[in-house]
Amino acid sequence: MSSEEHIHHPTPAQYWKIAVVLAVLTAIEVGLFYVNQAYDLGFLNAAMLLILAALKFVIVVGFFMHLRFEKSTLSRFFTAGFILAFSLYAIVLTALGVVAIRGG
Amino acid sequence: MTATAERPSTTIFRRPASTSGFWSWLTTVDHKRIGVMYGYAAFTFFLIGGIEALLLRIQLAQANSEFLTAGAYNALFTMHGTTMIFLFVMPASAAFMNYLLPLLIGARDVAFPRLNALSWWIFFFGAIFLYSTFFFGTSLAPAGVDGIGGIDGNLAPGGGPGSFNFLATSPDAGWFAYQPNAGPLYSPGTAMDYWALGLQIIGLASLVSAINFIVTVLNMRAKGMRLLRMPVFAWMTTVTSFLLLFSLPIIAVALFMVAFDRQFGSLFFAATNGGDPILWQHLFWLFGHPEVYILILPAMGIVSEILPTFSRKPLFGYSAVVFAGAAIGFLGFGVWAHHMFASGITPVAQAAFGLATMTIAIPTGIKIFNWLGTLWMGRIRLTAPMLFAIGFVAMFTIGGLSGVTHAVVPSDWQQTDTYYIVAHFHYVIFGGAIFGLFGGLYYWFPKITGKVMSEKLGKLHFWLMLLGFNLTFGPMHWLGLQGMVRRTWKYAPEMGLEPWNIVVTIGGFVIALSVLVFMFNWFVSRRRGEASGLDPWDARTVEWMVPNPTPEYNYAVPPVVTSLDHFWHLKYGEDEDGRAVRRDDADEIVARIEHEQRNPVGTIHLPAPSYFPFFVALGLPIIFYGVIYHEALWGKAMILIGAILTLASLIGWGMEPLEEPHLEGHEPGSDVVEGAIDG
Amino acid sequence: MADLAHETMADHEHPEHESTGVDNRKLGMWAFLSSEFLFFGALISNYLLYSNRSGFAGPYPSGIYDIPFTSVSSFVLLMSSLTMVLAHNALSRGDQGGTRTWLFATAALGAVFLGGQVFEFTEFIVEFDMKLTTNPAASAFYMLTGFHGAHVAIGVIMLLSLWGISRRPGGLSEKHGMNLELVGLYWHFVDIIWIVIFTVVYLLSVPS
Repeated sequence: MSSEEHIHHPTPAQYWKIAVVLAVLTAIEVGLFYVNQAYDLGFLNAAMLLILAALKFVIVVGFFMHLRFEKSTLSRFFTAGFILAFSLYAIVLTALGVVAIRGG
Repeated sequence: MTATAERPSTTIFRRPASTSGFWSWLTTVDHKRIGVMYGYAAFTFFLIGGIEALLLRIQLAQANSEFLTAGAYNALFTMHGTTMIFLFVMPASAAFMNYLLPLLIGARDVAFPRLNALSWWIFFFGAIFLYSTFFFGTSLAPAGVDGIGGIDGNLAPGGGPGSFNFLATSPDAGWFAYQPNAGPLYSPGTAMDYWALGLQIIGLASLVSAINFIVTVLNMRAKGMRLLRMPVFAWMTTVTSFLLLFSLPIIAVALFMVAFDRQFGSLFFAATNGGDPILWQHLFWLFGHPEVYILILPAMGIVSEILPTFSRKPLFGYSAVVFAGAAIGFLGFGVWAHHMFASGITPVAQAAFGLATMTIAIPTGIKIFNWLGTLWMGRIRLTAPMLFAIGFVAMFTIGGLSGVTHAVVPSDWQQTDTYYIVAHFHYVIFGGAIFGLFGGLYYWFPKITGKVMSEKLGKLHFWLMLLGFNLTFGPMHWLGLQGMVRRTWKYAPEMGLEPWNIVVTIGGFVIALSVLVFMFNWFVSRRRGEASGLDPWDARTVEWMVPNPTPEYNYAVPPVVTSLDHFWHLKYGEDEDGRAVRRDDADEIVARIEHEQRNPVGTIHLPAPSYFPFFVALGLPIIFYGVIYHEALWGKAMILIGAILTLASLIGWGMEPLEEPHLEGHEPGSDVVEGAIDG
Repeated sequence: MADLAHETMADHEHPEHESTGVDNRKLGMWAFLSSEFLFFGALISNYLLYSNRSGFAGPYPSGIYDIPFTSVSSFVLLMSSLTMVLAHNALSRGDQGGTRTWLFATAALGAVFLGGQVFEFTEFIVEFDMKLTTNPAASAFYMLTGFHGAHVAIGVIMLLSLWGISRRPGGLSEKHGMNLELVGLYWHFVDIIWIVIFTVVYLLSVPS
């Protein structure tokens, strides 16, 4: 028996439901892609796709990786790594001209 | 009462029969032995890197010297830098972190002992792989280039087996391997592949260690050892481990990219095909800057242990020192492009990184003032470790001040690529990290050997080293400002740089002399040094509560910690003015602690030794040799063989029975071995 | 000396007093995974840098993606996370048979994903003549998806090893239970990296 007790364990039925949600989100993403191919949505396309991806990301991490129910130490590690990676590479891409900032 | 140390047998191979002898070192998972192996390896590379430096200095002692060709010079400064950073300072810090971390937190070993052994063997094989370039590597002139303009600037062609032109076999594109110079077009041959893939292997060792130390500190502290009661060295180990954890993956990607460019024709940095050389600089320095804090923080931790002990005062502002260390680590991720001020980054980027760089001076300054505050009004004993610690504070401050001048961007444009920069980083790495490491060696020598090093020789070592160090690197400040350019094998006589260069070279040899004194001291003290007893320094922290040399099991009884500097408070109370007063029964308390720790009751379960870390690690250089020679059939075969060896060893590792508690009752007939109490 | 003996015994009953309350190995795995963000972040940034640059010879990856195909393989990998978590759930309920089934299913779905990658790469190389050496964007694409695929492959090996152990008499013990959880964490991480790659590298880099 693992020494830390999980407070809550989703049931298999709940896992299946989560999987359906993920599949639907993926379908919406692909649909959105084709809509954008037909009618250029501009900036909205990127925004919505990123939101959808972020939702899938958070759902898998929170429920499948169980982070939602774990001790905060683990979320802190995970978040720290993510934020650090995101910030550092955002700066690098800005410096290399991929992401434009005004006056840069 | 005798101790019995029980180790469960492994099912695949017979359990090693003794705790001494060659095989016991091959299979050890004991953090102390691993630390010792790291230490000897690191020191060996210190000597090699030092010889590389002396050769450079002989060349530079004279204007227009012909002692070294340009190509040989390039090879030497590349290997000097690579060796000193990756094969000396990092493993030397690892030696201390490995040996001490469990002791400092009251634990018996790290969280993952076999993984710890794996780190060591990966490092060992990686270092051998990297240096095997001298036997197998080739370093050729770029295609179509043959002595441009009459200057013989390239390495003599050659290298490879049978060639004795050793420097033609060496990586020569700098320890920073800027692209595309270090890429396939301008550095053909295999030497830079040995460099890139060797570092890849070594980086993995540090990553694994980092995970190990982080889990150890978070999870395995003794009762009462709250995080803010840990010795500062334990804290600095933690911050260093986080820096390693997050910066190594970046250099791993960069090294893969350069290896792919060189081996498989990818175009990441191929400027003529649209690749971006500046990308390399970003990726390299994203790792490279945290790396320099990785180099300095452990030594800062050592100094924070030594100064209070020999001032007989607590560390001034413990929490501030700890948080400053964490702040330095954190901020250290945000300043990398200050290595790129002259590479064409935008003015906004220059300003931002210049500003960020200046902010690091703040937590650094906090530490320095707190160290001074520790010394102030202390009852100071100028022992050898104390001299090195004070030397650290002074030399590092000088190096830090020149560092702040680099943060001013236009000023940096004048300093960059001159010897002023060389002066800066040697003051912080040598005057800082290396002085700190030597201090730590003198300080913890009793822990490792049960003896003390000779004070006289230690002081001689210190003063010679201090003199030699300042003679070597002090003049580099003004040589740089006078225009002496880095990474260049000769300078013209009319520049007037020769007199101070002679001084610098003499200084280098004085350093060498001081190192010989140290080595003599080490060997003589090991054999005939005075016995140290339990507490030779009247120290403050818990690692001094176990006998010297440290028993295999560390603590017979893990301490129950009630405060910072727990050991000190067992021995000392305070008078009305807050000054420390030794308790009347302090000697009895110490004697009782020693007796208790020498005589464990019952069975102590230790992690089992294992063959598998050695073999998992061995597979890696085999794979990478295969990658370098992948065009030949035997190269492809080596990749396969190495991969199978690593994979099979990992499976064996996974199937090996786990450590003690899970083995209770599962091991019929497991033998009980008499463990050495003071071995 | 009675206290001493008692402490020693208590000490060896709970040798890992885990101050954070999280098992050592779990903590270690999460630390490792958080460092992997820096690894994949570099690869993804590298792709974003080059996929945006004009003027390269040869096809750009974004010009030749087969979005329907990649959508299906993304779906496959996503569902493998479901089967993974079902395997873990089965083991926690003591259902050895279920554990075996779902473990194998996860490995199989992972293998299908890998097969899809191999197929995609072959298409790109043979039909569109886009190789690692064609241009920096192609190099970046193959590097990123190649390393991701290598991670998946390692995951499949670990899953099959666990599955192999689970078929022995007695099935997976409590010790292996932690290993399954650890492999699961790794597997889900590889999946979330693909979630990012699918959106950012595939969907978002095709010009409209």
